[in-house]
Amino acid sequence: MDRRRFLQRFGTIAACAQINPDFLIASAFAQSARPLVFLSAENITGNWDPTAHTTLSQKNIEGFVMGFLTRTPMTLDDPGKVVYELATDIKLLDPHRLQITLRDGVAFHDGKPFKAEDVKATFEYGAQPDRPAQWYPGPTDTLTITTPDDRTVIVDTTKGGYPAHLFVFLASFLPIMSAKDVAEGPGGVLAKRLNGTGPFRFVEQRGNTTVLKAHEGYFKGKPAIPGIDFTFTADSTTRMLSLMNGQASIVERLEPEQVETVKGNPKIAVSRIVSVENKYLWFRCSKPPFNDVRLRLAACHAIDRSVILDVLGSAGHASSNFVSPVKFGYVDLKNYPAYDPDKAQALLAEAGFPKGKGLPPLEYITSVGFYPKTKEYGEIITAMLNEQGFPVTLTVLEPAAWNERLYHRPGGGPGHMIDCGWSTGSPEPDLVLRTHFHASSHRITGLEDPEVDASLDKERNAPTLEARKTILQTETMPLLAAKAPALSLFTSAMIHAMQADLKGLFIYPDGSIDAARTA
Amino acid sequence: MFVLSFLARRLAQGAIIITLVSLLIFTLLRVVPGDPVRLMVGGMAPDSLVEQIANRMGLRDPILVQFGRYAGQVVRGDLGHSFVRPANGAATGGANFDDATRAERAPVAALIGEALPMTLQLAALALAFALAFSSLVGIAAGLRPGGLADRFAFAVSSIFISLPNFWLAIVLALLFSVKLGWLPAVGYGGFSYTILPAIVLAVELSPVLIRTLSGAVAAQMGEAYVAVGRIRGLTETRIVGAHVLRNAAVPLLNLLGVQFSSLLGGVIIVEYILDYPGLGLLTINAVLQRDFPLIQGIAIVTSAIFVVINILVDLAATIIDPRLAY
Repeated sequence: MDRRRFLQRFGTIAACAQINPDFLIASAFAQSARPLVFLSAENITGNWDPTAHTTLSQKNIEGFVMGFLTRTPMTLDDPGKVVYELATDIKLLDPHRLQITLRDGVAFHDGKPFKAEDVKATFEYGAQPDRPAQWYPGPTDTLTITTPDDRTVIVDTTKGGYPAHLFVFLASFLPIMSAKDVAEGPGGVLAKRLNGTGPFRFVEQRGNTTVLKAHEGYFKGKPAIPGIDFTFTADSTTRMLSLMNGQASIVERLEPEQVETVKGNPKIAVSRIVSVENKYLWFRCSKPPFNDVRLRLAACHAIDRSVILDVLGSAGHASSNFVSPVKFGYVDLKNYPAYDPDKAQALLAEAGFPKGKGLPPLEYITSVGFYPKTKEYGEIITAMLNEQGFPVTLTVLEPAAWNERLYHRPGGGPGHMIDCGWSTGSPEPDLVLRTHFHASSHRITGLEDPEVDASLDKERNAPTLEARKTILQTETMPLLAAKAPALSLFTSAMIHAMQADLKGLFIYPDGSIDAARTA
Repeated sequence: MFVLSFLARRLAQGAIIITLVSLLIFTLLRVVPGDPVRLMVGGMAPDSLVEQIANRMGLRDPILVQFGRYAGQVVRGDLGHSFVRPANGAATGGANFDDATRAERAPVAALIGEALPMTLQLAALALAFALAFSSLVGIAAGLRPGGLADRFAFAVSSIFISLPNFWLAIVLALLFSVKLGWLPAVGYGGFSYTILPAIVLAVELSPVLIRTLSGAVAAQMGEAYVAVGRIRGLTETRIVGAHVLRNAAVPLLNLLGVQFSSLLGGVIIVEYILDYPGLGLLTINAVLQRDFPLIQGIAIVTSAIFVVINILVDLAATIIDPRLAY
């Protein structure tokens, strides 16, 4: 052996000794003592201010970090159930005054003690008309909020003329911010990070991952889960692969086929809950032909929703109302438009378009890649409408292009019908009904109907929750079914899959998770 | 002297290529459906506001005027700021344009600067895997044309070239990550996360490398100098290792430059499927969000990489075989 060969062989042996074969497998098995890894199907915004967005995935992060006066589990058997969190009692002093008693001994993650001033600051800031997430029943100048002491808040809605009980359900939906943070106003510290009283504290945003750590000072005790990595992962197959190889702890928005795949896997548990989200076919009500209620109803009667549910499988839940069955006031509406081709034909003829003759070409817009099966059932709806004479073509777009065309604009907005879901993590029905059907909002349909507006105002202004429920169920919701500004197709089932040891984790119907079980 | 004139010529050509690619991407982005301003201002904003903001941003000027303005910035080293991604690294969607509190937008150069090393690491490992495998199979096939190794190389190449990379990524992740638990598959948490996507890309690269290498080695083995070498008593290892492979390397080297472009294309799919945070994933997200400045920045950087790699390959080829100098 010459010197060169000796050095070559020695070098090769030395190099092999440097390679640590463990690196191949260590990461895949590094499961123990790791944070909970949540893979989200939706991206978040670049602004941590809770009043600056309506993005569901970011609301879910807030569910871990922020504190709420109450939480509402929104189960099918008890949609109105309230669990007290930062509040210990909420009571109506009179129709326009609500008294909230606060929990003692709670502090924000930055150490500031939680007091009545924080609730006052949150409500007054969030209700400002320039805040993008408009969840409040009226702007700040319609509210008078007083704090007789550090543990008591009185919300007075006399100036606005609407009842104070509207804050009962909102209390479970509005994250409470620190008055110190709110004092910096828009553009201040609120936009840069989350600071709440919840079980997990915000650490950093690392690329697409929001890093949260268990909060030692959480008032119910430090959570058993050491932390949460909340990661946006767009592709559902990728999310599923990650769960199956143990990298992810929990993934959301499973396709029905994926549920079948993991059902027999003993390492994985599946959670299916009826969600707060209904999926709708929205009509552009401010332009022809769907500015004519008869044509809207004809289209509704042309659609057999049971076929859509067959296509959706476990991802859908039958409902006959404009809100989910887990929302306050839900009732199966007797006059909800059912599949009835004869009625569809009669309405078409009455509107002057017998068998659809004379109707202009109609565009139905839907998305693919975010909601389950939209393209598949979109094609079915298109075929059903065409069968009754509606000259409908389906436009399938990726989410960004679809989102660009979603909302009403002056003149009606793109297309004639569009598919979209609407999900708000509160039993409050007005977060759907008023948002979409009151003329002050427009949102997607662009509906302007004084009769609907009057009914929505009437139910909102009812003096008590019971009176409101009666008006909703006997007047407002049936009126909406008769006017059909949209057809609610079904209620979405929220399907999560998780590692089996997380089985039993409570998932709210809006997808947020109670991960606060203590050590 | 040759190297300097070579570099000057090729860099000038490269600058023209990058300019043309940028102009093409710039034009395409502005004619495809999907107005970025509509995404920025929110769906409910009236068309008048969209137009007002678009005009303010210069997005309604003639394309050549817009391109001239953009090129001026790029020459000064400024690739601009993302339309939607904030500086804190969060993925974005749903923020309102007129929300004064939204975080500062991220510079395009910083976003590319974070993602590019990840992709280069992946590409380098994929090339290393592909070269190692292709050398083993291709050289053996080239030394015995028509033999068992050659038939094996043909079969492997045929199978590999028929495998779609998105399918292979999922299947390999199921096998190596889910079933066997040997490798992590999704996201990035250390070097080991690069291995699986690199294998997928190597499978895509290997067929062409194997065929080129086996063909080149077989051709060189038929050359007179090989017979002369044997007569002079050189060992077969010496003939192949020191002479045949050196000469066979020239077509392989040229091919690598071309293959790099297909590698950049393959990276987009594989990074998306396996959620690998490189340039491919950044590109897909930028396209879905109609993030014009980011797409343009990525196009410029990738075309520049393509040009530089090809210059280096040509330079290396002339060093290996001086007859190629011009």
